[in-house]
Amino acid sequence: MSHVATDMSGETGGLRRLGRVTAAMWRLGASEALAYRAAMLVWILTTTFPLVSLALWHSLAGGGAIGGYGRAEFTAYFLAAFVIRQMTASWVVWDLAAQIASGDLSTLLMRPVHPLLHHLMSNLAALPVRMMLAVPLGLVVLIFVGDVEADAGLHLLLAPAAVLMAWLLNVSVQIAVACLAFWVTSSASLFELWLGLYMVLSGYAVPTGLFPAGLAAVVRYLPFHAALGFPVELTIGRLSGPEIAAGFALQLLWLAVFGALALWLWRRGLRVYGAVGA
Amino acid sequence: MTAPDLAAGTGARSPGYYLRLIGGQLRMSVLAALQYRLGFWTEGVLGVVWSALGMAPLLVAVEHLETVEGWTAWELVVLTGCFTLVSGLFGALIQPALNESMNHIRRGTLDYVLLRPADALVLCLVTAFAPWRLVEALGGLILIVVGMIEIGRVPAALDILSALGMGVAGMVALYAFGVMILCASFRAVQLQNLTFLIEAILDFARWPAQVFRGFLRMVFTFVVPLAVMTTYPAEALLGRLEGSTVVTALATSAGLMLVARVLWLRALRGYTSASS
Repeated sequence: MSHVATDMSGETGGLRRLGRVTAAMWRLGASEALAYRAAMLVWILTTTFPLVSLALWHSLAGGGAIGGYGRAEFTAYFLAAFVIRQMTASWVVWDLAAQIASGDLSTLLMRPVHPLLHHLMSNLAALPVRMMLAVPLGLVVLIFVGDVEADAGLHLLLAPAAVLMAWLLNVSVQIAVACLAFWVTSSASLFELWLGLYMVLSGYAVPTGLFPAGLAAVVRYLPFHAALGFPVELTIGRLSGPEIAAGFALQLLWLAVFGALALWLWRRGLRVYGAVGA
Repeated sequence: MTAPDLAAGTGARSPGYYLRLIGGQLRMSVLAALQYRLGFWTEGVLGVVWSALGMAPLLVAVEHLETVEGWTAWELVVLTGCFTLVSGLFGALIQPALNESMNHIRRGTLDYVLLRPADALVLCLVTAFAPWRLVEALGGLILIVVGMIEIGRVPAALDILSALGMGVAGMVALYAFGVMILCASFRAVQLQNLTFLIEAILDFARWPAQVFRGFLRMVFTFVVPLAVMTTYPAEALLGRLEGSTVVTALATSAGLMLVARVLWLRALRGYTSASS
């Protein structure tokens, strides 16, 4: 099945149309996010985990720096982790897996745009609402805690790129896992496996730099770290030039791996998709 | 079901009646769980794995600090055991019931629960269980025993008693939170993620309450009494829990349950079933 409409009159017309459709899907996603803002707030509260971690490590570091992190550095780390987690959040896996299982995907397949674009836009469009709820929360915590230490330098210019890559990586992984729903019934619970590892290995609960040296070296090569730990450490300025380059390279590598996997599974999956009426 | 039974509605019933009711629901859940033996792996064993993975931050802290706010490594094992026990019980008893009841509220099928001749809140809280998660609770018990053996301390009968008391108080507090979330789901749809919120908060019960200071310390002692759930039982076993703390903790849990019950009765009045 071809998702790009066949009635496109030439390349430029198609692009303009795609732009219009994308904008419409953005509006749809944004109003959805606004409509369910209570649920959104709860989600954000659920992800305040780094803020409590902040309080915890802040007090543990009272007796001196732990593994290169003093109190102010912990504040910077966990605040950045909180905000970047918000910015890179995605929930494609739950929606897409449910649509595949229930057959609702058929509706999306009928539309003259790629179904995955619909999901990407619905995730992106929620970003402003998420930020409006999350940033004040972060600021309150910052005022509450007081001391923060982060290096404001040119590396900040690279941070948006790292965050974007992290988001794309998250989305790719989620699409790949969701596409397993074409074959198995409980792909969303498989994702919980990923999420559990992510919580521990991404630097979400504790900076990976604090792991025992040998373990840290391995963990920092994994996709989990590329999806959170790297952008966070980049943002607060803990990385040297070569480390930044290596971090981006790893992000690219994992994005290529999971992006390809997601697309492959999607194509193979559509062939076996057997919803009612498909 | 006889007519007088129905007529009694949600009136007072003997404790024996409720024990039989809970027993019956438990038996059904166990039978269902035994049919799906894969659940032993996907729920039970995986639950244990998650618990172990979640220990990572605590391990990191121990490695860098040796003692965490006065807790030695083996004392932290006892604490982790208490956490694993509570978390397993939450997953086995509270979470499935909450999810099922929220589904009822959302779909309007709570009618069928309300019509039954027993207290609606009790019915909601026993509507589903996930027995395989008890594997995790068992793992917690083993951790506690191993930790106590390594420390070389035999808890006195009174210590065990107060640990049990604190554990029960902690579970009551968790139930109270569950009920408050149920109340909230009468008003807003799409609140399933609130049970995730409890889970996320519960994760901080792995840490000794002493690591939290000021505002958070107050919250975790009186509002979301994580301390009551894990730190106090562990301290009781280690023989350093004061009597006054026990009394405060019991009062906190009872207070939370009372608030939850009042909120529930108010929320129930606002329930509009699927058809009305």
